[in-house]
Amino acid sequence: MTTTELQSRSREAADQVTAFFDAYRRHDVDAMTDLCADNADFSYVPFEVWGKQRVLRGDGKVKTVGKTIWVGLIASFPDLFTDVHTVDANDAGDVVVTCDIGGGQQLAWGPAEPRGGKFSEPHLFIFHVDGDGLIDRISAYWDGAGINRQLGHLEVD
Amino acid sequence: MKLFTRKDQAEDRAGAAEVTPAETVSAFLTAFGRRDVEAALSVVDDSVRVDIHPTGLREGGSAELRAFLTETATAFPDLLVTVKNLIETGSVVTAELKVEGTQAAVYLGAINQEKHLDVDQAWRFTVSGDRVTAVDAYWCQNQLYRRLAVKRLDQISLV
Repeated sequence: MTTTELQSRSREAADQVTAFFDAYRRHDVDAMTDLCADNADFSYVPFEVWGKQRVLRGDGKVKTVGKTIWVGLIASFPDLFTDVHTVDANDAGDVVVTCDIGGGQQLAWGPAEPRGGKFSEPHLFIFHVDGDGLIDRISAYWDGAGINRQLGHLEVD
Repeated sequence: MKLFTRKDQAEDRAGAAEVTPAETVSAFLTAFGRRDVEAALSVVDDSVRVDIHPTGLREGGSAELRAFLTETATAFPDLLVTVKNLIETGSVVTAELKVEGTQAAVYLGAINQEKHLDVDQAWRFTVSGDRVTAVDAYWCQNQLYRRLAVKRLDQISLV
């Protein structure tokens, strides 16, 4: 692979992820998932709901777990926004994004009851884009306590 | 006395250029995992900009980074830092890692109940030459407090 082709791979990966965030900004979850491979892995690391018998985690596939979380998030925060700050990519298809995500709460989100609160929280996303130009992995990190504090939910569930 | 000639400095810079950003970050994280704060800081530039989002630290510097690393190393004598993924994208290096240990002292306001901590984290480093010039750390403080048996975000130090 030539240097130009490698730079092209890096650029294409960054463009695919930029398109993902453009769709996220439009709340177009179908478009978000269409940018991903059918079997794309999904991990929202802080997403952890502790029940009496088991712990639900935000791990699985984009087109099952990911899509469900995004639809629920947008329903709870109808004015959800994503402000992308940095996009860094390499020729292996890795793309790292820093952004702020936030919005005003209208419906319950996890254990946080709607109190009319708003949040804005820094996020870090790690994507991998495959050789066909589709996203085949999404991982994200953020501080759930920061969001809960802003929404007025102070219990550590 | 003149210690360095121009040629020496050029060779020094050339030597520094041979160290990749990922190697610099690996050196930092390896030292952190050994609880060797001084060794970790030896690859950090004096003018480093530090954001440790879960602690609320924004645009801190080397003093704040030193304080955080020292508090972590002190609170967890059996600290284990496992790097799961290291991604180099030009001068930016992103590490996905797991931090584990048994609490032995107050940590980020949580009293010591000798609980075991395991929290997945992501650290984004910016590297210039052989020095870290920016650090952004992300993890979920809710997960951290849950593992340390904290019940409420407004009563971190209460059991």
